[in-house]
Amino acid sequence: MSDWGWVAFAYLVVYGSLGGYVASLVFRIRRARAEADRG
Amino acid sequence: MTKRTLEFAAAGLLLTALVVGLTVPPDAVQGDFQRIMYAHVPSAWLAYLAFGITMIGSIAYLVTSKLRWDRLAGASAEVGVVFTGLALATGMIWGKPVWGVWWTWDARLVLTAAMFFVYLAYLALRRGIDGLERRAKRSALFGIVAALQIPIVHFSVVWWRGLHQPPTILRPDDPQIDGPLLFALLMGVFAFTVVYAALVRRRMDLALIEDSLVEASRAGEDVAGAAVTAPSVGAKPR
Amino acid sequence: MVIPFGAVALLVIPMAVGIETTLLARIGPGLFWAVVLLFGVLVTQRESGAEGPPQRDLLTLLGVDPAARFAATAIANTILVLVFEVAVGAIAIVLYDPDVVGWGWIALVLPLVAAGLAMLGTIAASVTTGLGGRGALAPLLIAPIAIPIMLGAAQATEGLRVGAGILRWVLVLAVVDVLLMLAGVLTARPLEES
Repeated sequence: MSDWGWVAFAYLVVYGSLGGYVASLVFRIRRARAEADRG
Repeated sequence: MTKRTLEFAAAGLLLTALVVGLTVPPDAVQGDFQRIMYAHVPSAWLAYLAFGITMIGSIAYLVTSKLRWDRLAGASAEVGVVFTGLALATGMIWGKPVWGVWWTWDARLVLTAAMFFVYLAYLALRRGIDGLERRAKRSALFGIVAALQIPIVHFSVVWWRGLHQPPTILRPDDPQIDGPLLFALLMGVFAFTVVYAALVRRRMDLALIEDSLVEASRAGEDVAGAAVTAPSVGAKPR
Repeated sequence: MVIPFGAVALLVIPMAVGIETTLLARIGPGLFWAVVLLFGVLVTQRESGAEGPPQRDLLTLLGVDPAARFAATAIANTILVLVFEVAVGAIAIVLYDPDVVGWGWIALVLPLVAAGLAMLGTIAASVTTGLGGRGALAPLLIAPIAIPIMLGAAQATEGLRVGAGILRWVLVLAVVDVLLMLAGVLTARPLEES
């Protein structure tokens, strides 16, 4: 794999993980709010 | 600063750091691999910062008994474990092409891995305990015991690896870095720190909602039989 | 039942890494310490008779200082871990035939390690009292923090083997023990109250 290939891999992992975590936070907050509204 | 502003700032800074990291000239020794450091070093920095904030939150909870500090500790730990994982991953992705192996028993890598597991243990403990005050107290106490030992872990690992330091010019963080490359690094550190702050704030929001759900369900339990009702929780959280 | 478990571990490992005698003699001491760390702490996690909430309340009413309770439990656990070390150590010597040098120092290292693991185990047990999945959680709480204990022990035995100075590692073990003692005593009352 070329140098830039490794760099791209690293950045994919970093930004993908951060994005994934943000998405999980958004989802969990939404779900918790829905449950709070129900109760 | 409102949450929205912080989040926009975080996103903007992150994008800037990304662009800077990709456009600065390549390093004289490592070439383009240096760019991985612009994500690795900030992640590692955040791993330690988040751990420190978790410790501060733990101590503050034990002193004040205010649950908000516990929420900070827990939120910082969860965000911290993400950044620690990223520090490890980027360290390995850098190491494979540069050193030829995914893992070297470099002291710093080992320490980061140990910290990762301490984080996981702390989070697992929090998840297992019922009751907000109990969870706050126990995880705070465990956190402090862990923090007391961390310096020893650090020294013992560094001494251990000091015996077998491989001769290498290529170290993860090159002390000779300067100029635009240093700027890219610092930009990354700054951007990641703001991202951390935004994530922790949101994670604390989530904790507040989840905790109040726990409080609400507890209020529904009978206290001293049906003759007495427990006080009910106030307005719905938003 | 943890001693037989540790013994089985020592038996099974050569099936995985190969039974070449020089290799086993070389890694024997290290494997011994790894087994002590990973399995030895399990002896500190048994449910003792004095642990249920009613029993603890009784002890508190009787005026037993939580710190004293910690000390007593820690001492009892130290003895248990020491017994584990000696039993599993004998088996390791038989199976792996390592070069054992410096019995004097080893006699010092064994109780230092036992005390450290015992105190960590006692603290971990109090932190996880009453939790359902306690079995798997306590070892996870202990293992990363116990790294200096294992490094100290393993580097000490390795140092003895090659004739290098080991004072530094004995010092690491001693400092860990002192810090854990402090941590255990300071956290005893708050943990009791939670």
